Amino acid sequence: MDNELGGLETEMKRGFLQLLVLVLLEKDAYGYAMVRAFRDLGYEVEENTLYPLLRRLEKRGLVRGKWDVSEERPRKFYAVTDEGRSLRDELVGIWNHQDRILKQLINKEKEHVQEP
Amino acid sequence: MYKNLENYLEEISHYLSGRAEREEILAEIRSHILEKAELEGGIVTEASLEKVLAAYGMPRRVAEKYLDGRPVIAPAFQRYLFRYTGLFFAIHLAFIVLAVVFKKNFIVFPFLFMPRLGIIEAVMYLPTAFLSDFGIVALVLYFITRSGKEIKLPWPRFAPDLDEVKAPDGKTLAARIATLIGAGIMLALTGLAIDLFLRFQTIFFVSFNLKKFRPLLMPEPGRQVSLIVLAMLAAGTIGLFIKLLSLSRRLACWVDATADAIALVLIGLLLRQPYAGLFAVHVSPGLLPKLRFTLTFTLLFVALVVAIDLVANLVRLGRGRWIK
Repeated sequence: MDNELGGLETEMKRGFLQLLVLVLLEKDAYGYAMVRAFRDLGYEVEENTLYPLLRRLEKRGLVRGKWDVSEERPRKFYAVTDEGRSLRDELVGIWNHQDRILKQLINKEKEHVQEP
Repeated sequence: MYKNLENYLEEISHYLSGRAEREEILAEIRSHILEKAELEGGIVTEASLEKVLAAYGMPRRVAEKYLDGRPVIAPAFQRYLFRYTGLFFAIHLAFIVLAVVFKKNFIVFPFLFMPRLGIIEAVMYLPTAFLSDFGIVALVLYFITRSGKEIKLPWPRFAPDLDEVKAPDGKTLAARIATLIGAGIMLALTGLAIDLFLRFQTIFFVSFNLKKFRPLLMPEPGRQVSLIVLAMLAAGTIGLFIKLLSLSRRLACWVDATADAIALVLIGLLLRQPYAGLFAVHVSPGLLPKLRFTLTFTLLFVALVVAIDLVANLVRLGRGRWIK
């Protein structure tokens, strides 16, 4: 059962993390800062998953990466592009729609259980 | 420079070889790990890095996340690997038979060159033919997968599927009892044959009267043919006992495949035996060619059955590993 849950959670997280990244990157951020920001919200992200995802989003032109070498430790900062922003808005719309459907279904089920 | 960090990155780099952005990927991971070690451990040391590296994951797993992860053969085409291999092997087999029967080279340019083969070479060539067909089909399906095009591969509805070959169920009690009985019979036969061979240097007799011993074959060819048959019996017996003592289906497949390969070699050796001066008893000149034809045909038929079993076992062994 734990394995089943873990597998499904991983599948759900895959799309969700893309959306979260596109939302978070409205302000420039680098990888480790993003991991901490997600953690502060109670969302654990595997670091080794975040960086490949950022690279894929960058390749697709949805985020833009830029190295900052002004400080002692160089960091790559990412920001959402116009294309990424427009896609993010559409994804948020889909997310809200799915969220509404799920809540309605759960409420209906609850009503069914209470009726008899 | 932290040795453990550099070793870790070096290992990731190894798995990312050939990728243009490799250095940038490594720089980003290095920056992340150093910052995490500093913020969570207070100070960067090899010991604090060790913890962060362990949490980041195994280098191969990390590198794999940057790779596309596309299958070598697309799932939709995986069934065709054994379907087409079976089909090509059947055509290949037909050309092998033609090359043996007509004693000629066959060329289907640029796909196939089948040189004139003797019977033993043909029998020995069968597994190689299967593996080469398998490799060619796998290569074509790989390129189709890489092309990413919507291609519908043809396959007739009525045609059988080689990939539906099921591994025998070696774990049931009935199967184990059957193996036990088979092993017992084979052991008795092998023991009897060895006993006869040690006493008379042959296992082929015209009459089984120990006082009036009459061998069927001449001493030297009789000895050679007896040794080949003894080797067949011994290989079969050993194989059955290994299967009896093991619960592993995979091992059973390996044993069967090995026994088949040995049997093919031994059948090839039998087919090479010259018929002139073979029999120690009088065989009429008119009967000898018929006898020769019947024996050759029977041995070739057995070789074909063994070769098919060998191919089925190779499919069973290879299927799990290749279609993943």
